[in-house]
Amino acid sequence: MYPFQKIRGFLFYLSVLLFVAGLPFILSYALGYKFNTRTFKFVKTGLIFVRTQPAGASIYLNGRLVAEKSPASMPELLPGSYKVTLELTRHYPWKGQVEVEAGKVSRVEKVILFPVRPNLQQLNQEKFSSFRIDNEKRVVYYLDQEKGVVYRSNLVAGNFEDIASFPDRFSQVNGWEVAPDRRKLFIFNQHQISVIFFDNQVEYEHPASSVILDYSQARIVNVFWHSDSYHLVVLTDKNIQVIESRLGTLPVNLVELNKASEVAFYDTRGDTLYFSDSQRSADGSFYNNLYKLELSANLYLLERLITQPFGQVNPAHKEAAGE
Amino acid sequence: MNKARLLKRVLEIIPGGLSWGIIILLILLAFLHPVASAMVIISFDFYWIIRTVYLTTLLIMAHQRLFQQKNEDWLARCRSLSLSLGFSQLYQVVIFPVYNEGLEVLRPSLTALSASHYPMEKIIVVMAFEERNISAHDNALILEEEFRGKFGSYLSTFHPDDLPGEARTKGANATWAAKAARKFLDARGIAYEQVVISCFDADTCVDQEYFGCLAYHFLTSDKRHRASYQPMPVYNNNIWEAPFFARLVEISSSFCQMIESMRLEKFVTFSSHSMSFKTLVEIDYWPTNMISDDSVIYWKSYLYYNGDYRVIPLYVTVSLDVAYSNNIWRTMMVQYKQKRRWAWGVENFPFVVDGFIKNKNISLLNKIRRSFHLLESHVTWAVWAVILVVIGPLPLIFGGSFFSQMAIAYNLPKITGLLFKFTLLTSLTWIFLSWTILPLRPKGISWFKHISLIMEWVFVPFIILVIGSAPAIDAQTRLMFAKYMEFNPTLKGNKVL
Repeated sequence: MYPFQKIRGFLFYLSVLLFVAGLPFILSYALGYKFNTRTFKFVKTGLIFVRTQPAGASIYLNGRLVAEKSPASMPELLPGSYKVTLELTRHYPWKGQVEVEAGKVSRVEKVILFPVRPNLQQLNQEKFSSFRIDNEKRVVYYLDQEKGVVYRSNLVAGNFEDIASFPDRFSQVNGWEVAPDRRKLFIFNQHQISVIFFDNQVEYEHPASSVILDYSQARIVNVFWHSDSYHLVVLTDKNIQVIESRLGTLPVNLVELNKASEVAFYDTRGDTLYFSDSQRSADGSFYNNLYKLELSANLYLLERLITQPFGQVNPAHKEAAGE
Repeated sequence: MNKARLLKRVLEIIPGGLSWGIIILLILLAFLHPVASAMVIISFDFYWIIRTVYLTTLLIMAHQRLFQQKNEDWLARCRSLSLSLGFSQLYQVVIFPVYNEGLEVLRPSLTALSASHYPMEKIIVVMAFEERNISAHDNALILEEEFRGKFGSYLSTFHPDDLPGEARTKGANATWAAKAARKFLDARGIAYEQVVISCFDADTCVDQEYFGCLAYHFLTSDKRHRASYQPMPVYNNNIWEAPFFARLVEISSSFCQMIESMRLEKFVTFSSHSMSFKTLVEIDYWPTNMISDDSVIYWKSYLYYNGDYRVIPLYVTVSLDVAYSNNIWRTMMVQYKQKRRWAWGVENFPFVVDGFIKNKNISLLNKIRRSFHLLESHVTWAVWAVILVVIGPLPLIFGGSFFSQMAIAYNLPKITGLLFKFTLLTSLTWIFLSWTILPLRPKGISWFKHISLIMEWVFVPFIILVIGSAPAIDAQTRLMFAKYMEFNPTLKGNKVL
């Protein structure tokens, strides 16, 4: 026999021994068993896996630090309930109770650690009564009803500027919205809509002056900008109208309503108005329908979305509808 | 179907059947019982870690022996021997079976042979051409003119096509050439006991000390005629020019052969090898209808001598060409086909087991041990990469939400990750060793090539995917369905000398 064959034989049997002796331990570990050196018995354990956003949180189990940085796993835990605390500097800690089952993984994976106050930033420099965020252009519009002024700033509290004032004879703003072209806004109350320009508007006859549209015959519930930034879709307690945002034009009455609809949704991308109205059934009872009104440039189509009643009409509404 | 044919078919089906059975069983297990599947995979991972460390240790030992014997003056040691068969009486017959290799491959092989540190008058070269090769006679004439005077004797043989009982294999050509050499020896009254025959692939460039080393081991072996002599094949001829893919595969092949040289109980002849001419005649030459003639010659001898036959490793290199083509895709195909041809060595299994059944003089224990080694090596080759790369992740993919809650589901990727870390560690050893067996950098090749030679090892996982197990599965499946392969020589690149 060659001398190297003896060494090789030794290595071979050592490898076999390692495999035979090591495999039970590896498989036991994989299955979650822990060898108790005191009792010389295998005990089936479970484990907790923790992942946080952001990573790097210290992990405490029952008040004892067990891992410096998440993500981490705590293996070989005896079955039972554990108090888990996750701590990260300048973030609110996360605390919770986690159940550990034998041979199983308890995953704590959807933890978001929220930062504490240093991330809180004040954006306004003046008082205001309401605001709108334009996320696309990264600006914020403030409306100060008391002073009748509209401000604008960016989202990091810079470029703060006064961009428009209310017309003199306009009082009590119920709602407002900046036009999609971001060059004007409307404000409205129960019987008036005013369009206020931020700069000169070439398509208007009297640029730089606000326009007031009176609605004395109906109560304005809501107003929406059409995507062309020129037409306004007006929801009143009696009807739905479209009106140009300038003086001297008459509104177009699109839908007569059976009852006042307090809630409506306008999709500017598709120029579609979703609203509800009541309908009388054959047995004389009233039920609500949801309608989709398409207002894109060439299409005005009233389409019934839901034919099944989804709520009986209040008897008071029945009366209002002339029942 | 007669009994013998039925037995042959059963034995041909066993390796492929086992490999496919293991693969299908593990895939089914991943679906039906992911926990059991994960346990099998973890066990295999652990086995593979230990096996990799063990084999890398053997590689280091083989490498150390190779370097220890590198500067040995074998010729001086031969001359100092005083044995019944003296060194001066010894002849070396060297056969180069040529399939369709051109002068650009053959010339460097003969040049390397002529530069051997060995008495040239004792070397008889036989260039064994195939008659069907249209340029065979022209090439033979050119080479004869160039090399006739450089060796003791120089013969050219032309193996006729379609001889009865023969397939188009290298073994058939080598046998034809060996018979021609026999006539030559008989004519000169040279006893076969005094002759060592080497059968080299056409692109084999021998180390200068090869024949000295061979002669020393032949002369000093206690049963010199009951042994084959196996040098270490390294694919160095064109390694600097070969694309990374081919280079990495061939370096790994060289290393596998070095590892095998340390496991003598499993060691069989591979590629270029040498043996006693007397033995070759007694066992009736190489098989003429089998592709894996290089290993079958060992098994023929083993059976003929009732198990009293062995392979003696020679820690001296013979250098061969890296097989590659002109683009990476074709190189992958060339490599794939070459490895499939090597994996076709699985045809040895039915040959050997059939021989064991007929032979009553080999002990049952030896028969079982050798059959098991042969079967295990081929089945492992066919399944290891599939288990590690394909089946490994299946329990996690198909285990479902219940399995994902289990500790074993969490630990499976951790243990698999550990396996890859170990593989990385062993890869570093392989990188270092591969660097030490590189030939000198040829002129015109940048120094930065050294860096790229190291960096390209990151592609090993990709190579495992492409030619890890696939060629072996392919070969075994063909054998299962009796779709016998034909000899298809590997496309060789240009050499650098």
